[in-house]
Amino acid sequence: MQKSFIIKRILYAFFIFLIVMTLNFFIPRIGVSDPAERYYPPQGNMTEIEYEIIKQVTREQYGFDVSTVQQFINYVDGLLHGDLGTSFQPGNPKVSHLIAERLPWTLVLSVTNLIISLFIGLIIGTIAAWKRGRWQDTTLLNLSTISTALPAFFIALILSFYLGFEKELFPAYTNPNMVSQFDWSWESIKVVMYNAALPIISMSIGGIIGYGQGTRNAVIAVTNEDFILTARAKGLSRNQVIFKHTLRNAMLPIVTSLGMSISGLIGGAVIIEQIFNWNGMGTLFLNANNTNDYPLMMGVMLFMSAFAIVANLVTELCYSLLDPRVTVGERR
Amino acid sequence: MKIKMKKIGITIGKKIIAIFKGVGRFIAKLWRHPKGRIGLIIVTILIVSAVFAPLIAPFDPYDVTQRAQKGLSPSWNHLLGTTITTGQDIFSMLIYGTRVSLAVGLITGITLAFLGAIMGIIAGYVGGIPDTLIMRTVDVMLVIPTLPLTIVLTNLFGKSYLMIIFIFVLFGWTGMARVIRSLVLVLKNANYVKAAELAGASRWHIMIKHILPGVSHLIIMNTALTCAGIMVAEAGLSFLGLGDPTAISWGKMLAEAQSGGALLFGHWWWIIAPGIGIFLSVFSFMRIGLVMEEVLNPRMKQSSNIYKIFKNLNNQYLDEVFAGMDEKAILGIQTTKEGERV
Amino acid sequence: MNELMLKLRNLKVIFPAGEGIISAVEGIDLDILKGECVALVGESGCGKSVTSLAIMKLLNTPPALIRVDELKLDDEELKDYSDGKMQELRGKTLSMIFQDAMTALNPVMTIGKQIDEIYLRHNKMSRSEARRLTVRALELVGVPEAKSRANSFPHQLSGGMRQRVLIAMAFACMPKLIIADEPTTALDVTIQAQVLNVLSDMQKKHKVSLLLITHDLSVVANMADTVYVMYSGKIVEKASKRDLFTRPHHPYTEGLLGSVPRLSDEHHHFIQIPDSVPHPMFKPKGCYFHPRCRYATIECSEKMPPLEKIDHQREVRCFHPLNLGGKK
Repeated sequence: MQKSFIIKRILYAFFIFLIVMTLNFFIPRIGVSDPAERYYPPQGNMTEIEYEIIKQVTREQYGFDVSTVQQFINYVDGLLHGDLGTSFQPGNPKVSHLIAERLPWTLVLSVTNLIISLFIGLIIGTIAAWKRGRWQDTTLLNLSTISTALPAFFIALILSFYLGFEKELFPAYTNPNMVSQFDWSWESIKVVMYNAALPIISMSIGGIIGYGQGTRNAVIAVTNEDFILTARAKGLSRNQVIFKHTLRNAMLPIVTSLGMSISGLIGGAVIIEQIFNWNGMGTLFLNANNTNDYPLMMGVMLFMSAFAIVANLVTELCYSLLDPRVTVGERR
Repeated sequence: MKIKMKKIGITIGKKIIAIFKGVGRFIAKLWRHPKGRIGLIIVTILIVSAVFAPLIAPFDPYDVTQRAQKGLSPSWNHLLGTTITTGQDIFSMLIYGTRVSLAVGLITGITLAFLGAIMGIIAGYVGGIPDTLIMRTVDVMLVIPTLPLTIVLTNLFGKSYLMIIFIFVLFGWTGMARVIRSLVLVLKNANYVKAAELAGASRWHIMIKHILPGVSHLIIMNTALTCAGIMVAEAGLSFLGLGDPTAISWGKMLAEAQSGGALLFGHWWWIIAPGIGIFLSVFSFMRIGLVMEEVLNPRMKQSSNIYKIFKNLNNQYLDEVFAGMDEKAILGIQTTKEGERV
Repeated sequence: MNELMLKLRNLKVIFPAGEGIISAVEGIDLDILKGECVALVGESGCGKSVTSLAIMKLLNTPPALIRVDELKLDDEELKDYSDGKMQELRGKTLSMIFQDAMTALNPVMTIGKQIDEIYLRHNKMSRSEARRLTVRALELVGVPEAKSRANSFPHQLSGGMRQRVLIAMAFACMPKLIIADEPTTALDVTIQAQVLNVLSDMQKKHKVSLLLITHDLSVVANMADTVYVMYSGKIVEKASKRDLFTRPHHPYTEGLLGSVPRLSDEHHHFIQIPDSVPHPMFKPKGCYFHPRCRYATIECSEKMPPLEKIDHQREVRCFHPLNLGGKK
């Protein structure tokens, strides 16, 4: 039963990927009969014939000179070989190379942020649930309404203004040499940490409070369950009740929201990266947008979607390990 | 024919009156709650400043020709100073910015709630193929990164708030639909729904007359919270310059402040002003949503107040209460009464 | 032999709320002899479950406020015990069976582990030793293939099996007193009978005192020795089972018995009790039952009748007790 459940979920994830992949292929083709027109829009000073020639070149270069079906087959074939397309950037680098270059830098921000948010959030949330109704709890509740109303990018601007420009504690803009000079030496790691401080702080303020409030609600919901009373009636100590019965069950909703955070690890820091000029996936994508680099944009999108699908799948499988009811009952 | 038309007119009129009455009762409920009152007051201020922006704003916020007025600090003339780059009055921009935020937030929130509720009810109540189709769509929507797709679509079809609203609705209904669906699955097995089914009521009748009222509180509450979420997202997109390039919005003001050197020259009010706008609008809608959750779910309120009640307990009164329960007290009262009789 | 296992004197529980005070239990006394099964009967909302949790000292303060004069378990005064000390006793010398086994068992833990915990907590033993005892406990309550069933999760068992698991948990350490709070209400009638039989057998075989909390008089008829009838936080009648069923003294008891159909007297109509239990925050003046009582007089609406001793086993709280046969 367990095995068939896993296979089912994998197949379903693959099915979702097929749909996303197809959408991804057709989105840049919406509204134009010839994708070449989108890839190379007509310029003002061009004659009809010149433009025809340019379009022909574009078609050949990007494989638009065959039927749409054949294009789709080629696209899928490319994906199977790990080819996400070719960028417009000078030197026409492969999209997958650009992603591989930028991905670690985004992950530095988002993974650190997630770990900090989760860790501190869990502690704060458990304390608030423990001190339910007292000042610790009400403070968290008020902070959570305030922090959702303050978007992370606004916090980022305030921090880069106050800590960056006024106090000059941390750099308000990322050192442009950070990436090129990085060589795994302790010095360069310190540079990265120094530059990443503000982006991570501004992202994790909301994250900590969000996970805190989520944990608090989950723990309180479990505390009200009958089986906690049973556990106490069995004479278990307070710690046994908390760690063996309460937290284990309270983990379930937290795992769900953790899965959502993980699926947003790559695409979730676009604005923050933009503010601090951080050299990650977000800025890659925004630059691609500014230069109308469609292959790059669509390649990054597909990569992000695929990452989210895998993240969801892993979450679901982890969830089923934690909650034995899942494999038998309805999904979700 | 005329009479029939009149009749229809009257029934429609009655319906409209009923709706207004419902809204009135609802607002009264919010007003009675101290936290809800704060939300209502802020929302009213925002709506007034959006509608009467030209009357309230002391300057024309679109006026970029005031070269002499560049980069002024806050003063009585310019309450929040002027921009460094173009000399626009920041306070007037703040007032005008309400329009975009409220319009995008409300239009998206309501459309999305409508669509999400329909999808959720159909998926939950009808089940079968419609349910599968809707839930598969939800699953696909969940994995597509929203912000990058918005960027792609605005790139392809031009930057406008209409586009942004369209994308928000396209992606936002999924969350609403999931919430509604799970409640509908519970309601579906309620006895009154079963009774209506046995009585031969049509599916549509049951969905509109029985299911919809059952989930309506959830829809209203979620709409308020979604509006708040949409406002944050709108500010983010405007910050990235994906909104209408000619409109004034708080997100765009922040972007201009950043690129215009507010950070560099220490003009903090240029950053704080739009931030406060975003904060107030999102905060007020969230407050209303959360208060509604409390009003509709009174158990939550009780548990949160219990510590306050315990702090304020009067021990002497409690002793009296406890003493009144004693068997001796009951007997005592009796003897004195009998004593009186004798 | 007729020694007291549980001696409860003047238990009072209130819940302060925003609008007033909810008085759930208003000064009740309970005596349970060794090896005796005492039933506490009443409608839902009369404070029976609160009483049971108060005896286990499982009520949280806040929201509850508790006062009690004596709470003696086998001559051990529990009144002032700290939670830590109670933890030692719970599950070992007094334990509890809850109403709904579906929610009372932890859904993400195998039932075997949930029972192991009790042994590991109260005895010094290895896990395998605990598991051996667990399997034996499950076998005792009639769970077939106990060894493999111990590895299943609660949702994989039927309702009757889950309830048996709860019973096995309660009897795990052979406590002196077991409180069963509506142990069969959530079950189908046929399964109810099976589970009651198990419970009854276990109680008699191991000579455990049992406090049975229920609203179901057929359960009382099957199991109880002594019956306390509770109404709106107060004991209104105490009697042996036989006396209660043959000669109820309190009009409420009469009403309760009257709502149970009996085949023997066909001409008899149901005696209905109109309305329902008063809201615990707005109890009527005088006898709490008087608005629903068909024998009520003005006296009843003015003051609360005391709990009077009729003979050594019987007590009743009524100005106009029924079926006394000229005793008073």
